[in-house]
Amino acid sequence: MIKSYKLRRNIANAIIYVILAIMGIIWVSPFAYLLMHSFRAEGLITVNYLIPHEWTFQNYIDLFTVKGSLNFPRWLLNTFVVALFSCVICTISVLAVSYTFSRLRFKARKKLMNVGMILGMFPGFMTMIAIYYLLKAMGLDRNLVALVICYSSGAGLGFQISKGFFDTIPRALDEAATIDGANKNQIFWKIILPMSAPIIVYTVLTSFIGPWCDFILARIIMGDRRDLYTVAIGLFDMKSEEFINTYYKQFLAGSVIVAIPITTLFMIMQKYYVEGVTAGGVKG
Amino acid sequence: MKTKQLLAMILAGMMTATAFAGCGGGGGTDQPSGDGGDGGDGGNSTALEVKENAIVDESVFGDEDNITLKVWAPEKAVDLTKKQIEDFKAAYPGKTFTNIEVVIQGEDSAATQILNDAEQAADVFGFASDQLNKLTDAGVIQEVAFVDYVTKTNVAETVTSATVNGKLYAFPETNDNGYYLVYDKSVVSDEQAKTLEGILEGCKAAGRKFIFDSGSPFFACTYAFTAGVKIDGFEEDGETQKFVDYDEDEAVATLQAFSKLMHDYKGTYASLGAAQIASGFSTGTCGAGVDGSWNTVPDQKALGDNYGAAKLPTINVNGTDKQLISMFGYKYIGVNAFSKFPRSAQILALYLTGDKCQKERTEEVGWGPSNLKVAGDEVVTSSPTLQAITAQAQNAVPQVNIAPTLWDPMGNLGNKLIADETDPTDTEFFRSLLKETIVNVKDEA
Repeated sequence: MIKSYKLRRNIANAIIYVILAIMGIIWVSPFAYLLMHSFRAEGLITVNYLIPHEWTFQNYIDLFTVKGSLNFPRWLLNTFVVALFSCVICTISVLAVSYTFSRLRFKARKKLMNVGMILGMFPGFMTMIAIYYLLKAMGLDRNLVALVICYSSGAGLGFQISKGFFDTIPRALDEAATIDGANKNQIFWKIILPMSAPIIVYTVLTSFIGPWCDFILARIIMGDRRDLYTVAIGLFDMKSEEFINTYYKQFLAGSVIVAIPITTLFMIMQKYYVEGVTAGGVKG
Repeated sequence: MKTKQLLAMILAGMMTATAFAGCGGGGGTDQPSGDGGDGGDGGNSTALEVKENAIVDESVFGDEDNITLKVWAPEKAVDLTKKQIEDFKAAYPGKTFTNIEVVIQGEDSAATQILNDAEQAADVFGFASDQLNKLTDAGVIQEVAFVDYVTKTNVAETVTSATVNGKLYAFPETNDNGYYLVYDKSVVSDEQAKTLEGILEGCKAAGRKFIFDSGSPFFACTYAFTAGVKIDGFEEDGETQKFVDYDEDEAVATLQAFSKLMHDYKGTYASLGAAQIASGFSTGTCGAGVDGSWNTVPDQKALGDNYGAAKLPTINVNGTDKQLISMFGYKYIGVNAFSKFPRSAQILALYLTGDKCQKERTEEVGWGPSNLKVAGDEVVTSSPTLQAITAQAQNAVPQVNIAPTLWDPMGNLGNKLIADETDPTDTEFFRSLLKETIVNVKDEA
């Protein structure tokens, strides 16, 4: 038994830091690999060593100079546009639904919340075939608008966290505003929203990331319209049997590029993000 | 509280019901292939006269005019296909073609895309032979209207492989969808390339790898086929894989011989993905490999003048050299059963697979033709790759009527042969491995 408290603490800390460092290295290594090999000049696909022998920017240049049907800049633009629109629609609908459930009292409130909860339990892709044929019936298949609709129409169901946040804002503020003559709409925009920066940021982030990651719906909706692909399907295509020998290194470069907008957004909004996640959980 | 639970249950029930309804609806629209199928007989008789360059009389179009078609072609062949379609239009001056669109779609996933939604898919599409059963089962592919002509002008195997229940369903496009030996001539001599032992010796001496994807079923079935355990369509039930009669002792000895080479040349005999071959050539780590015809261009680019191609080598089993038997597929062009212009689609598919277009494809994209006339042409006989592919085609099992249960056991067999813990001298192990593989393929376990 070690007597000195300081020594014991140091040993414990050392062990903890070593474990954390190992886990950190394991966690970061795929990203390090991705980043390094996106600058690799030699070889066509994977190589069995970690540090590339020759470095080059060519993969990135090739990625943005379009040859053939793999049009990465266009896919990036598609994804960005879809993400932007669904982000705006999602954010507004989530916040509006949360405000309604948090502040208004009406007969079916509890029931609707339960319904929303149950519906939210079913993953979106469960109904993808039905969604596809519905969109087709409306003439919206193979269309970026269809993606925006898919990503944003069910968004209101994810109201729980922001409702939790709104519940923590004292109702006394609403009442004071009502006395001053504000209606519910004005309270929402002028009183509640300005105080909800963290939760707005959280909603914006989650709804912006969705389209970058979704593969299943985008794939089934876009079919053979390669020019309308989003980055997720496009990148997957690059490593198909037909293209892998030509596009593997560009695929790595593309993966790095895709991470940039999301990472930037995260860095800017990081502070609020943590606040938003925790604040929403204070009172459910 | 009670009402809430009830409500929740009803809702959950409704959700499930709608989900199923959705699936049913989806499947339902795929079904009515009847009216589309009629279009297949659009040409009406098998004795339709086909003129030079696979052109037919304009009367075959029937009353179809202002024609709109969509064609799926793989990226490599898109530009050429566009050009060929211009020639096609010019060949029928009496018809108005509103729009013939060429869309890029890999042949490896054409069936998946069509089954997604046949109505939105291409009218005329290229696909690989392994997908034929899927397409005919779903009723999304039209019968070929020009049976006599297609049968007469193409390599017999390509035609029989596209025939299901006596009906021809697709136009043969290539006779090259398989794998063969590629080697770096500075590492492996042409003489060494004839035997597996020679190749491994050459690679080992140069410190290079010989890449043969033993874990990939498509490649690994070579081991079983070479051992004499070849597949032969289905049993009478139409779904269990049938095998030809084989000599078990010889089969076991062959598997043992493979395993022995893998262990003797450990570090040289590498089981890596085929895409690693071109990469290995470019970095100087690979000396030879068994590679697919789809990788020919990157291989050639990586090796330059040292590029060598040959049929698969032989392996020495108890003193006799046995030729390696591979799995071999073909590429076809099919016509969508839901096409709004079934006759035009048939005529276009016929044209695209005719001798003129096949020759152009061989010259410009390097595809091995299925057309008999083009196969004997100088373009083919002067290309080492196409010669290698043609030679291998004669030592191969066609990739048709494959039970889905074939793949995993074959990959497992390959992995076991090369596994470190396998002892190549343990005959009983290989006997039980072979039995296990057959049982698993037949799904009898």
